Amino acid sequence: MIEVEALVKRYGSTTAVDGLTFTARPGTVTGFLGPDGAGKSTTMRMIVGLERPTAGTATVDGRRYAELDAPLHSVGVMLDARSVHPGRTAFRHLLAQARTHGIPRSRVDEVIAMTGLEPVAHRRAGTYSLGMGQRLGIAGALLGDPGTLILDEPVNGLDPDGVLWVRRLVRDLAAEGRTVLLSSHLMHELALCADRVVIIGRGRLLADAPVHEIVERSGGTLEEAYLQLTAGAVQYRGRATTSPTTTTAGDAR
Amino acid sequence: MSAHAVAAPRAARPAAGRGAMTFRGVLAAEWTKVTSLRAPYWAAAATAVACGLLTYVSANASSVDPGFDPLDSLTSGVLLAQVGPLVLGVLVGTGEFATGTFRTTFATVPRRLPVLAAQVVVTAAFAVVAALLAVIAAVAGILPAASGRGIAVDLTADGTPQVLVGTALYLVGLALCGLAAGALLRRTVPALVGILVLVLVLPVGLSLATDGGTGPAAPAGAVPADPASTLVTFTPSGAASFLTAPPGGGGVAGAPDLGPWGAAAVLAAWALVPLVAAAVRLRRRDLV
Repeated sequence: MIEVEALVKRYGSTTAVDGLTFTARPGTVTGFLGPDGAGKSTTMRMIVGLERPTAGTATVDGRRYAELDAPLHSVGVMLDARSVHPGRTAFRHLLAQARTHGIPRSRVDEVIAMTGLEPVAHRRAGTYSLGMGQRLGIAGALLGDPGTLILDEPVNGLDPDGVLWVRRLVRDLAAEGRTVLLSSHLMHELALCADRVVIIGRGRLLADAPVHEIVERSGGTLEEAYLQLTAGAVQYRGRATTSPTTTTAGDAR
Repeated sequence: MSAHAVAAPRAARPAAGRGAMTFRGVLAAEWTKVTSLRAPYWAAAATAVACGLLTYVSANASSVDPGFDPLDSLTSGVLLAQVGPLVLGVLVGTGEFATGTFRTTFATVPRRLPVLAAQVVVTAAFAVVAALLAVIAAVAGILPAASGRGIAVDLTADGTPQVLVGTALYLVGLALCGLAAGALLRRTVPALVGILVLVLVLPVGLSLATDGGTGPAAPAGAVPADPASTLVTFTPSGAASFLTAPPGGGGVAGAPDLGPWGAAAVLAAWALVPLVAAAVRLRRRDLV
C-alpha cells in the first residue's frame, strides 16, 4: 500500500509536485499517468526516499521508506534502466543488491530466469539494449519478493513479447495481493493491465478513478479520456514539420 | 508488507531470504561491486608495476655512485605509485553517481551513510593489497642493482621496516583521500584532476617557488622557516615524506618536522575532512 498525501516538491521557484494526494492499494495495478514533466518520476523518487518532499508525506505500508528495516522485501523499485554500472554484469549487479539484505545467490539466479536474462547475465551491462536494461531493472525490483512494486515506464524499449510478459507479470503480482504502481505513456497498454489510474498534470491530481469509470465518463478510449483530461496541462508540445501554411526557416528556429 | 502478499497463492514460489538490511550486508555488497569491475584491478596492478619499474630504474642509475646504498632507492617508485591508489579511490567514490547506479544503491539502502562507510572499508581493504604488492615490487626493484654491486640487502636494519610499512600506509591513505574527493565531488574528471593536482602538482610547484627564492640548497637547520615549504609539508605527499623515510628523516628544509605520527594525522585529515563533507551532502541532499 502506497499512500501519498498533500505531497509538494519545489526546486527553487519551480513547483514539480503541487499538493498531490492518492493511494495505491494492495491487489491493484495502479497506472500513474501524466504528460512529460508532470511530476511522475519526482513523485516516485520521493516515495522511495531519493528526494525529500518540500511538504506532505509519502508512505509505504504506513511507514516512510527510509524507516523500513528491509526496503528490498517491502518495495521493489525500478526507476530508470540506466541505474546500473555499465562495467558490471547483470549477475554481479543483482548479487550486490541482494547481499545488502542477505538474500541468497539462488534468488538472484531465479529473478534472472524470470526476466529472461539468462543468456546475457554474465555480460557487462554497458552492452545491453534498452529492453535488456529494463528487464534487469525489473529483476532488481523482484529480488526481495516485495509486497509493493514501483515501476517507472517498465515496458519502455521492450519487444512485443516483453510487453506482453510485463502485462502478465503485473497482473499476476496484483492477483497475489501485491500493490503495483506503474507509470507509462502507453494508454493501450495501461487499459489492458491497470485497474485504476491516477492522472497528474503540472504536479496536480487530474483524475483518480477505476479505468472503466474514466473510459465510460469520456465515452471513448482511455487514450481519448487521457488527452481530454490533460489538455490544459501539457508543458511540452511538438509541432508538425510539414505544415500546409507557409513555413519559413526562421519559424523553425 | 501487506497481509495479502504473505498469503500469496503461489506456494511454488520459493521464499526469498527475509533478513533485514545490515551493515555487514552493505559491506558485502560494496565488496561485490568493487571486485566486479575491471578498473580496480588495473589500478592495483599499475601501482605495483609503476612502483617496481621506477625503483628499478632509479636504483640502477644510482648504482654507479661510489657510496651507493640500494636502500636509498627503495621509495623512489612512490612518485608514480601514488597515482594508482588515487584512481582506485576516486573511481569507487564517483562510480555510483557517474553511472546512475546510485538510484539502485540508495533505494536499496535508504539510510545512505552505511554505503559510504562500507566504501571506506572496502577501498582500504583493496588498497592494502595493492600497497603490499607495490612494496614487494619496490624491494624487487632494488635487488638487481644491489647484486650488481655485490651489496647484501638487509630489510630488517636501520629503520627499513618503518619505511616499508610507512610506504604501504601512505598508499592506502591516498586511496582514501581519492575516495573522499570522489564521494564529495561525484564526478570523475573533476575529482581526479583535483586530487592529482593536490598530491602531485602542487608540491612540485611550491618547491620550485621556494628554490627560486632561496637559491642553492642550504644545509638543513640553517634554513629559516619558510611558508611555501611549510605548505608543501602539509600536502598529502609532503607529509608522506616522514612516513616513507627512516626514523628522523623526511620533510623539507625550512618546514616543521611532523614526525611519522604527525604526518599520519595530516594524511588522515586530508581523507576525513572531505569524507565528512561528502557524508553531510549525501545525508541531507536529494539524489536526483
